Amino acid sequence: MLSNIAFYGAIETGLIYGLVAFGIYISFRVLDFPDLTVDGSFPLGAAVAAVLIIEGVNPWLATGAAVIAGMGAGAVTALLNVKLNILNLLASILTMIALYSVNLRIMGRPNIALLTEETVLTPWYNLDLEYHQVPVVLFTLVVLAGLVLLWRFMKSETGLAMRATGANPRMARAQGIATGAMIVLGVALSNGLVGLAGALFAQSQGAADVTMGVGVIVIGLASLIGGEAVLTPSSVVRALIACVIGAIIYRLAIALALNADFLGLQAQDLNLITAVLVTLAIVLPGVRTSVAARFTRNKA
Amino acid sequence: MITATDLKLTFGKGTPLENPALRGMSLTVNQGEFVTVIGSNGAGKSTFLNALAGEVMVDSGKIIVDNQDVTKLPTYKRAGRVARVFQDPLAGTCEGLTIEENLSLAIKRGQRRGLSAAVKARYMDQFKNSLASLNLGLENRLGDKMGLLSGGQRQAVSLLMASLTPSAILLLDEHTAALDPKTASFVLELTTQIIKEQKLTALMVTHSMKQALEVGDRTVMLHQGQVVFDIAGKDREGLEVKDLLELFEKQRGLEITDDSLLLG
Repeated sequence: MLSNIAFYGAIETGLIYGLVAFGIYISFRVLDFPDLTVDGSFPLGAAVAAVLIIEGVNPWLATGAAVIAGMGAGAVTALLNVKLNILNLLASILTMIALYSVNLRIMGRPNIALLTEETVLTPWYNLDLEYHQVPVVLFTLVVLAGLVLLWRFMKSETGLAMRATGANPRMARAQGIATGAMIVLGVALSNGLVGLAGALFAQSQGAADVTMGVGVIVIGLASLIGGEAVLTPSSVVRALIACVIGAIIYRLAIALALNADFLGLQAQDLNLITAVLVTLAIVLPGVRTSVAARFTRNKA
Repeated sequence: MITATDLKLTFGKGTPLENPALRGMSLTVNQGEFVTVIGSNGAGKSTFLNALAGEVMVDSGKIIVDNQDVTKLPTYKRAGRVARVFQDPLAGTCEGLTIEENLSLAIKRGQRRGLSAAVKARYMDQFKNSLASLNLGLENRLGDKMGLLSGGQRQAVSLLMASLTPSAILLLDEHTAALDPKTASFVLELTTQIIKEQKLTALMVTHSMKQALEVGDRTVMLHQGQVVFDIAGKDREGLEVKDLLELFEKQRGLEITDDSLLLG
């Protein structure tokens, strides 16, 4: 089974990927905009936060700057799609590729260590908590705040307009909704959340690395789809809770898989396990219904 | 009031599939008028409606809605003045949103949308009253997802949504064509009732000559992207489908070959 440290570690990264899953929920589910920018905006958030922190900027300000940078990246993708009519998926790939160079430029080197720097977590270590519980407590608060704000937003007039844009753009336009502006706003918001996740990840892991974004989209999707399989997303708030639950379950599953000695899996198998888990999460709900259908048919 | 002057629009210009959809279409619809529009396939009915709504941009000509030139404005900037019901019953509403959310979207048509809660308690009386007028029991199902409703129910709600806030013109694009006959006549009845009660200005495209003569107070026939005739008032009273056909043949020296137009 899992050690205490591995358990809290899984919850901690799960919470961070919950933020990524929020972002992916906005792009994939609300806007129906398959956005791969996140593979670039996650390390972008980390890079911006890390560079500002080693410059001595307040870590919360640095994290805020990471959010804004992420939003900028998302806005670029959305504008490529809306203004230049580039296919959404391709537009996001272009931004993602471009961000690799941008991130290297921002950092000036492939990675920046933050182990000795003051981060958003530093003051929390003075609390009467076990060392590896600290990030879990702080990130839970951040995720809860994000969940409540996003939920309120999705229920607002603008949020409803955004949901209509993704669900039925023709109807949305006929109701006077500027669908292009909604896509820009939504994809920016989505990548802002991913930028936030990147910044927090760098601070909790003690380093920003230019390659840390590889596969973030798949992990985020795994969390989203896994969460939806556990908790049917019949309302916005349920969908958002599902994102967090999915992300935590995903990280726990990975931790278990890597810790189960009899499986003989190692850290380098992570992406393979992820791909298998995502496939299972997509296929299993369908298998469940078809098995159920077979049973009822046999009975009849 | 809405005035379209000399609208021209060609699809696929310069390609082998070049298709002139509007060839100098002009029409003025006065305040409070209910105009029915007929024409065979390819006459330009839907293109004309799409041009008025802003879904397609005309190559030349002018569209004036309530004294404002909207020719170059995109759909969402015209939406405050132009309300619309689509042919596809699924197109006018969002199935993933609840009935009250759909209505709340429509009540802000053409207005600024902010960050306050979209579904407001003060809307509820209006929503319930208008839904009750449909006699479908929907006033008790405000929280239900739109996708749970039948096509006819959804089209009835689309109609409500289009008439929830004032508009300069209501565009109805064969909005009963995709429904079964019983539901179609229900939605048509509802349409005439709403237009009458709220004294709306409306333009209704239909595929049925009979329907075009039975409802509204003016009938316009389109052919090859132009208005071929336009009848109202005394001339229109007591007119039957065969009279309409004769009129058409006399004016054009053409015979109508579109069966669906004759049979509808």
